[in-house]
Amino acid sequence: MLKTKNDPLHKSDPAYALIFIIPSIVVIAFVAFWPLAQTFYNSLYKSALMFPQNKVFVGLSNYGALWQDPRFVNDLWNTIRFTAWSVGIETVLGILVALMLNKKFKLRGLVRAAVLVPWAIPTVVSSEMWRWMYNDNYGVINSILMSLHIVKQPVVFLAFPSTAMPAIISVDVWKTTPFMVLLILAGLQLIPEELYEAARIDGANAWQRFWSVTFPMIRPTIGIALIFRSLDAMRVFDIVFIMTKGAANTETLSVYNQWTLFTRGFIQPYFGYGSAMSVMIFLIIGVLAIFYVKMMKIRLD
Amino acid sequence: MKRSIFLAITLMIALVISSFATVTIVMTAGAVGAELQVLQTQIKEFMQQNPDIKVVLMPMPNSTTDRYNLDVTYLSAQMPVPDVLFLDTIDPPAFADFLVNLKPYFTDQELSQFFQGAIDNDTYNGRLVAIPWFVDAGILYYRADLLQKYGFQPPKTWDQLIEEAQYISQRENIQGFVWQGAAYEGLTCDFMEFVHSYGGNILDENGKVVSDSPQVKTALQTMYDMIYKYKISPVGVTTYQEEDARHIFQNGDAVFMRNWPYCWPLLQATDSAVRGKVGVEVLPEGTGFPGVHHSATLGGWELAINKYSEHIPEAVKLIKFLTSPQQEAYKAINAGQAPSVLSVYNDPAVIKAVPLFKSLYNVFMNAEPRPKSPIYAQISQIIYDNVNAALTKQETVDQAISRMTSQLKQLLGQ
Repeated sequence: MLKTKNDPLHKSDPAYALIFIIPSIVVIAFVAFWPLAQTFYNSLYKSALMFPQNKVFVGLSNYGALWQDPRFVNDLWNTIRFTAWSVGIETVLGILVALMLNKKFKLRGLVRAAVLVPWAIPTVVSSEMWRWMYNDNYGVINSILMSLHIVKQPVVFLAFPSTAMPAIISVDVWKTTPFMVLLILAGLQLIPEELYEAARIDGANAWQRFWSVTFPMIRPTIGIALIFRSLDAMRVFDIVFIMTKGAANTETLSVYNQWTLFTRGFIQPYFGYGSAMSVMIFLIIGVLAIFYVKMMKIRLD
Repeated sequence: MKRSIFLAITLMIALVISSFATVTIVMTAGAVGAELQVLQTQIKEFMQQNPDIKVVLMPMPNSTTDRYNLDVTYLSAQMPVPDVLFLDTIDPPAFADFLVNLKPYFTDQELSQFFQGAIDNDTYNGRLVAIPWFVDAGILYYRADLLQKYGFQPPKTWDQLIEEAQYISQRENIQGFVWQGAAYEGLTCDFMEFVHSYGGNILDENGKVVSDSPQVKTALQTMYDMIYKYKISPVGVTTYQEEDARHIFQNGDAVFMRNWPYCWPLLQATDSAVRGKVGVEVLPEGTGFPGVHHSATLGGWELAINKYSEHIPEAVKLIKFLTSPQQEAYKAINAGQAPSVLSVYNDPAVIKAVPLFKSLYNVFMNAEPRPKSPIYAQISQIIYDNVNAALTKQETVDQAISRMTSQLKQLLGQ
C-alpha cells in the first residue's frame, strides 16, 4: 500500500480506528461482559428464580460451597477427563489427517470437503445418531461387534461408567477432529517449500523434517487449535445431555450447572449457587487459556 | 436455538396482534403425533364460536424437561404471555404461585366431571391451579398371540410375569420384558409402580420419607433381578426411554412391555409387526407384603393460566371449551389421548374408535400420583439416579436405597 504524508485518510488513523472499533466494543460489552457481570452479581446472592424479592447477600460464600459439593468436584473431574482424552486424541488424529491431506493426490479437494462433514452436522443431530448406533438391540456398532464375534452379548455402551465416557469421547473425537484438521491444514499450507528443500539438502530424513521443520512451523496453529478445542470441551453440554443426561458418571460441569440453574434454582434458593458455578467454569477455562498461551508461547498481538 | 428464535417470533407476533381490538390468547401446546393438528381444528371451532377472541398456538419441544425449562423462562420473566399453559402432571406444585386459582371459575358440579385423582393432583395448598386435559397411566402390554401359544394367562403378579417372560423369551429367542430404566423421569414412574405394587411408598401422606422399607428394597431387587438374575429384561433397559422400549416391542422382539397408552394406536398401525397381536392389562402386583396391589403411575397433561395474563376470563373460556365432553371426545378419537372427563368413556363413538379406553377407565380411576411437591423435579432425580445406579451395578440395592433415603431426607429437611 502506498502511503503519502498529505493523505488526510492516513493522517488521523487512530481516530478512525477508534470509530471503527467502537461498535464491536459496544457489541462485545453488551453480549459478553454485561451477562458475565450480571452472572457474577447473581452469584453473590442466595436466591431463587421464582422469588427474586427474597434474595440475601452472601458475599463469596457460594464459591466456597462449590468446593464442598462432592457433585461439583466429581463433575469437574469428569470434565477434565473428557477434555484431556478428547482434545488429546483429536490433536494427534488432526495432525495425521492434515499431513495426509497436505500431500497432492487425485480428488484432494473432494476428500478435504468430505472430511468436514461430521463437523458440519449439528451436535444435537449427531449425538442422537450415535445414541442409536450405540443401541444394544438395533445399533450398528453392536451388530458389527457381534458379527465379527468380538462380543457374545451386545454391549450396552451408555449404561456403565466404564464404557459410557469413552463412548461419549469417541463421538466428540469423530465430530471435532475435522475442525483440528482444518486449522492444522491451514498452518501446513503456510510452510514455504524452500524449508523442506533446504532440509533435504542437509540430509534430514522424513522424521527429522517433521520435528525440525513442520512441527515448529505449525506449533502456533496447534496452540490456537488446542485453546479453541479445550475451551469448548471444558464446557461440553449437548453431547452428554443427549446421550446420557449425565447418567453412568458422565455428568459434566455444564450439565450440572444447567440443572442447578433451572430445576433446582427455580424454587429453591440455588440460583446464586448456580451462577457461582457458571462463573467458576468461566474462571477455570480462563486459567486454562492463560496456561496454554504461556506454554505454547503464542503471541496474541 | 432455531426453535427458541421461532418461539420468540411467535411471541412477538402474538404481542403485536394483541394490540388490536380483539382479545388474543397465546397458548402453549404439544406437538407429538396428531396432537397439534387436532388442537388447531379445535381452536378454529372455538374462534368461530367466539369471534372476539383470537387464539395463537405456540408449539413446545417434545420432552417434558425441555418444556419445564421453557415454562420456567416464561414465568420467571413475569410476562403476560403465554396466557394458557400446557403442564405435565408433576408441574402444578412447582408453578402454583404463578398460576391463577381456577376454583372460582368452576362449579363443584363441573369439577365432578373429571377424574378425582387428577383434580387432587392439580390442587395445591387448597388452590386449583390447573385443569386436567388428558390423562395417562402406566399399563402392561403383552403379546396375546404368544401367551396363547404357550397357554399362559396375562400375569397377575410380578412372579408370574417373570415366569412367563422367561419361558416364552427363551423359546422365541426374544426379550422378555422391556420398560424404562434410563436415568430420567420415566424411571421414577416405573419405579413408583413397583414400589406401590409391593405396598411400599417413597413419601407417606404427610410427606415423610419412608423409602427405607423392605417393600421398597424388594421392589428395586425385583427390577434388578429381572435384568441380571432372570434375564428377562436386556441390560440395555437401563438406557431405555419410552420410545426405545416401544421400538423393540413393536418389532415383535419382546413379550411384555410397560408403557403409556400412546403406544396403542402405533402398535395397531399397518406398519407394525405386532398389529392385532397385542393385549393390555393393569400392571402386575407384588407378593409377600400386606397391601400389595396393582398400581399405575398417574400421568397426563393439564391446562393452567398464567397469573400475569391480561385475559384471564377469555383463557378460562378456552379451557372450559377444550375440556368439554364434546371436545374431549374429538381429541380422544383423533389424537388418541385419554379424556380427563369421565362421561366420555361412555361415548360409543370414542369406545368404537379406541376400544382400549374401555379397559383403561379403571386403571385411570386408580392411578397413583407421584410425590406432590414444588421440588418434585429434585425428588425425582434423587429417585431415578439411585435406582439407575443400582440397575447398572454402580451401587448395591441396599446402598442405593439407603443413599436415596438419606438424600431425600436431607433435601426435605427431615
